[in-house]
Amino acid sequence: MGVIRRLATRAEAPVFPVVGAGGRLRASELALLPGIRLVGTPRAASVLLIIGDLTPALVRPALTVHDQLPSPRATVWWPVGADRGLLQAWPGLVTVEAGDAEGLRRIFAGLVEGRRASDPPLLLDIEPARWRGEGPYGQGGTGMTGGVPFGRPLPGRAPDPDGLELDQLPLHIGPLFPPFPPGLVLDVALQGDVVRQASVGENPFRSWPGGPDPGPLDTGAFVEALTTPTGVAELELSRARHHLRWLADALRVHGLSALATRVARLAATLAPTDGPEVEALVRRLRRSRSLASATAGVGAVDRPAADLPAGPVARAAGAGDDARTDDPAYRALGFEPVVHHGGDARARMHQRLGEAVQSLELAGRAGEAVRAPGPALEGPRGPLRRGRPTPSSALVALVPTALAGSEWGDAITTVVSFDLDMEEAALSEVAGVHS
Amino acid sequence: MNPVAAVGVVGGVLGAGAYALAVLDGAAARGVAGMPRRWADVVVEPARDAALLALTRRSTTERPDAQAWALAPGLLAAMAGAAVASVPLAEGFAVADVADGIVLFGAAMAVVMVGVYLHGWSANSPFPLVGGYRFIALALSYEMPLALVLIAAALPAESLSVGAIVASQAGSWNVVRQPLGLPLYLVAGMGLAFWGPLDGADGADLAGGTAAEVSGPARLAWELARRFVLVAVALMGAAVFLGGWHGPVLPGAVWMALKTLALLALTVAIGHRVARVRLERFVVVAWAVLIPLALVDVFVSGALAL
Repeated sequence: MGVIRRLATRAEAPVFPVVGAGGRLRASELALLPGIRLVGTPRAASVLLIIGDLTPALVRPALTVHDQLPSPRATVWWPVGADRGLLQAWPGLVTVEAGDAEGLRRIFAGLVEGRRASDPPLLLDIEPARWRGEGPYGQGGTGMTGGVPFGRPLPGRAPDPDGLELDQLPLHIGPLFPPFPPGLVLDVALQGDVVRQASVGENPFRSWPGGPDPGPLDTGAFVEALTTPTGVAELELSRARHHLRWLADALRVHGLSALATRVARLAATLAPTDGPEVEALVRRLRRSRSLASATAGVGAVDRPAADLPAGPVARAAGAGDDARTDDPAYRALGFEPVVHHGGDARARMHQRLGEAVQSLELAGRAGEAVRAPGPALEGPRGPLRRGRPTPSSALVALVPTALAGSEWGDAITTVVSFDLDMEEAALSEVAGVHS
Repeated sequence: MNPVAAVGVVGGVLGAGAYALAVLDGAAARGVAGMPRRWADVVVEPARDAALLALTRRSTTERPDAQAWALAPGLLAAMAGAAVASVPLAEGFAVADVADGIVLFGAAMAVVMVGVYLHGWSANSPFPLVGGYRFIALALSYEMPLALVLIAAALPAESLSVGAIVASQAGSWNVVRQPLGLPLYLVAGMGLAFWGPLDGADGADLAGGTAAEVSGPARLAWELARRFVLVAVALMGAAVFLGGWHGPVLPGAVWMALKTLALLALTVAIGHRVARVRLERFVVVAWAVLIPLALVDVFVSGALAL
């Protein structure tokens, strides 16, 4: 074995994750695993890591991404929760226990050492549609633009705010675009770097015949608490962890991936005694001028706070509704909701930071206090009420108007600031217990 | 200088600089993330990553502009090389001590814009293209302050030669005489190397931007080329603002290396501490604040030089 191959075998395995049903919690811990590096594009990956179960609508995008990985490549599956069998037919798939970084690394090393054959392409490399352009470059219609070579329209033209006629590129982004929450599909019209229009595409987690069947949701502990007596300390610790996981995602999108890893570790190991560390982190982030300018005024929602779906997004716009206010267990602890003003991405970040600190503080002094099952419970994305729409499904509806007219970087900041979960959004109503 | 030796020296400086940059970045990332790692691992890590990329196949897209795609990293590397050649690495030793070294550097950095846009354009894919657009939209905001602070540095030396500018700092360095110069230069330089908070062209929000579609050796070439640009920027910054080879006890070449490493470490630290800037906002700041400050720098330096 040559020197280069020996060196390459010991490199961190570059992994591109495909997060399927039930995989979100596992995915949030990926950055913490030794010997693995998350990459933002399949072209930089050696291992395609499927976490959780693929729904029918996720299979085709996953296959496309698979074929974008350069050789040598391998596909690893971490099963989580239910397995509906769609992945059994994936050629060359290696199943490894979820969270087993060593197992993944063994496959990577075999690949690099040449002991393991690289995955063959899984899709045919053919034109997606017939050539329909005209002229030597398939430019079609008149002038430089127009026409539909190979079934994909060339950019059309549309006026921009300065009154110029500029190219407008129609793009279909998702469901595996890394900065987005897994499963989010956006159809956007981009003019240069600016989103002119955006609409949310079909949710792939709805594609099971017979309706959505989510794996374990990342807010599962809260849904369960609707029907089971649960310790307040446990619930609030889950909430603080959730907000810190969100913070890690947000920091990664803001280009602070090393700091994001530190926050993700804090989220994974959080205990009520970590209060000082979380407070120090929160102080540092609140003081950061660059984070403030990256989020201030971004993704402001253009409706009164009272009309927003209740939850952290509404509280960040000044609406103080919080289902915990009416809960006897929380009243006994003197709970007062955290509220911020502004309703932009910055306010939403401060809101969640504030709630994380508050939750940790509540968890520290709740002692053995138990919350009795009741009809409503404040989840980390908003109130959960049996038979009522899930918080994410209401939040998804805010996306198109919040994105129109913003730069692409701001659009990503906005999407992340809503803290969506497409699996939760696929459920038309909050159901019973998810194991 | 013998052309082969010249290429060797320039390549050696760029290569060593890029490796040091990768090690510094890896160490900083580990530190910020709180993942302790053995020093030996941190030092070897970039070589391992490079070896993996070298063994990975390059992939292609549908109908890319193959020649331009292959040319782009070469263009960036060549421009970084041209810049390095004009910087004296020790007293009286530059690969090519051209009389107008500052002008050559400015011109080379302007061509970087072409290289980055080519890289985005030629992949024939939306995210790289948008990354290329972004760089074009921002580049003028970098070029202007860069050119102005370099002119200001040339004024006390009464020469456009980098060697003469270093020689003029025997008494006090430009970082002291022209306090506005180095900060403005670093902002512009990080922009040109699309590094840290100014990584619009290859940003994570575009799945890697112009580099979203490259893999294997092509990815290695691009990652090297952009680091070469940052190394060239740091080397020129060390010469023009930090007094180049001047320094007590140690030989001049060692001082140049230390000062260049210090600037690289500073850019790495900024990259891990400062969030990605909003592009439109940055352009406003560049034209309303950075360029006027650079003009003040030129006028004050000019008045003092009279």
